[in-house]
Amino acid sequence: MVNSLIYKKSNIRFLSILGQRGAFGYALTELVKEKSDIIALTGDLCITSGLERFYKKYPDKLINAGIAEQNLFSISAGMATMDYVPFATTFSNFAALRSNEQIRHFAGYLNENIKIVGFGAGFAMGMFGTTHYAIEDISAIRSIPNLTIFSPADCLEVAKVTEAAYNIKGPVYIRLTGVMNHPIVYKDNYNFEVGKSIRFFNGKDIAIFATGIMVSKAIKLKKFFDESNIGVTIFNIHTIKPFDKTSILESLNFKLIVSLEEHSVIGGLGSVIADNLCNFVEHPKLLKIGTKKEYQKAGDYEYMLNANDLSNDEIYMKIIEIYNIEGEKENE
Amino acid sequence: MNNREIYVKVFLDTLGVEEKELEGLKYQDVPSWDSVGHMSLMAELEEAFDIMMDTEDILDFSSFEKGFEILNNYDVEF
Amino acid sequence: MIKKSILNELNKHSYNMRQNIIELGYQAGRNGSHQGPALSLVEIYNVLYNYILSDSDLNFANFNRSRVILSKGHGALALYTALYECGILSKSELFTYEKNGGAFPGQPSKNILKGIETSTGSLGIGMPYATGIALAYKRRNIDSKVYTIVGDGECNEGSIWEAVMFARHYKLDNLTVIVDRNNMQSDGISKEILDVNLKNAFLGFDWNVIESDGHSIEELINAFSNNISGKPKVIIANTIKGCGVSFMENSKDWHHNVITDELFVQAKKDLEKKSGE
Repeated sequence: MVNSLIYKKSNIRFLSILGQRGAFGYALTELVKEKSDIIALTGDLCITSGLERFYKKYPDKLINAGIAEQNLFSISAGMATMDYVPFATTFSNFAALRSNEQIRHFAGYLNENIKIVGFGAGFAMGMFGTTHYAIEDISAIRSIPNLTIFSPADCLEVAKVTEAAYNIKGPVYIRLTGVMNHPIVYKDNYNFEVGKSIRFFNGKDIAIFATGIMVSKAIKLKKFFDESNIGVTIFNIHTIKPFDKTSILESLNFKLIVSLEEHSVIGGLGSVIADNLCNFVEHPKLLKIGTKKEYQKAGDYEYMLNANDLSNDEIYMKIIEIYNIEGEKENE
Repeated sequence: MNNREIYVKVFLDTLGVEEKELEGLKYQDVPSWDSVGHMSLMAELEEAFDIMMDTEDILDFSSFEKGFEILNNYDVEF
Repeated sequence: MIKKSILNELNKHSYNMRQNIIELGYQAGRNGSHQGPALSLVEIYNVLYNYILSDSDLNFANFNRSRVILSKGHGALALYTALYECGILSKSELFTYEKNGGAFPGQPSKNILKGIETSTGSLGIGMPYATGIALAYKRRNIDSKVYTIVGDGECNEGSIWEAVMFARHYKLDNLTVIVDRNNMQSDGISKEILDVNLKNAFLGFDWNVIESDGHSIEELINAFSNNISGKPKVIIANTIKGCGVSFMENSKDWHHNVITDELFVQAKKDLEKKSGE
């Protein structure tokens, strides 16, 4: 890595306090020291996307497009044509939904080398309410060709995907979840490969596919499964697209597959897994866990997770319920 | 080093300021104590005192003096 | 003043472009084609490709060239026929227009070495993209220009105005937007669909605004040379949709249509008559 310092152990807690968006801003500020073709663009969210220090250090390398997301990505495409590597930031939903056609046109159709950085995905925007939640963004973007979609599990991984996004010669969407003081999944530097999921534990009963901040939740649940003598394996799907098909092959003999995401179960990670499972005549049942089908009343981050039955307890109980039903079927 | 000396040293090392500047120093008073510098300061204090701070305390940590009060809640005595 | 000999040369190109637009439209058969919106663009494209752009601009391997982005993609026939007139496309290439799977469909498909800078078709997409290129030129100290052609109907799109604000803020005086103001759009007369005072709108955003007869070679050339430092420029070119073919002029039916054998003969006659005037 260009800036191996980012990944040093003592930096990990610092990045976690920053949260995913702050970690992105920090990583880009480090990366630009060595990559002069990077240019940051934002839709009036310089500070919110963790780029305050970037802007102070490199005022000529940050373009503020104002509150105009369609233009933000069109300008980025023009810059990419002229051999810049633009990282354009806004809230995930404004990127994926407001500018969906610009993404389809420039990233999909024209394969322009733009990096779309959507932050505040899921319910991270708390009291801003439903207009600022992004729980349909993966679904809205996934069918567009050429895009790589990253959804990092923690703040160290944010730095990894930022670097990986730069190295990919093509369009990338980075989905940033969670708030400040983000749970730490990786306590040490580790090997990150685009499109290659990372496996935790070696249980044989339930395979949990998680993405974004939900990876840390899944890991926390492990001890409850241990107490019930149920073996789990957790896959960190940091790359939603291209999806790691080998993780599916490794899960076909499990009793239950679970998808876990801070996103709608329609079109998100759960659907990606379903799309892959349907290639097999026999496969375990898939339990898709994500946000509720209807929009809930607004609240802070923890409140919203609870309101969507995404608290640790609720997730655990849902999984156990279905796991037991599947077990009974097998015994019949 | 006593706790106060450790606390002061973290400030000096992380923010690159001089000791005489510390009294009355507030968030955003110097360029190095920006949002990123703040998180770095918090991470270093956590490591120095072997604690894990809550988000609210990290956000409340608005000055050199305020920090004593907040760290007291984590049983760091000065 | 532009030399008479150059003017004659350019007029010949306009005539050829219109002939080819009609022949290509005829060849497209039942697929139909956007002839009206291309005929209003003929002089604009002619002046750009045969007068304004230099040889090094027309070298499409030259990274630092000036670029022309057709934001109103349905004007593709004007772009293709202009590229033929300045020798970028061969006749046989030109006549692969609207062939299945071909390089020259009804709306431009990116093909840089053939002079197609980017793909457009969906409106309000190309002009903001051109603005991004203009910004990159400034940042890279490239002393070239970006020209982008929008329709007056296309200016209904909000994304156009996002880029208009942006270009002024970043002082992109290397950007020229040409509005093909033919006063018509798909459903008919613009004034009846969405009445917009484009001149006031651009003036309100503090652009360098120039109005020109969009079918006058001389006026267009003057308009292109009129610059104000620090301000992006818009040339509001007053044009006639379907210009040169009697039954196509100012007719919404010829926004996109199929040309029959009889009408083909009529159109060719009209064009010869126009050239005699």
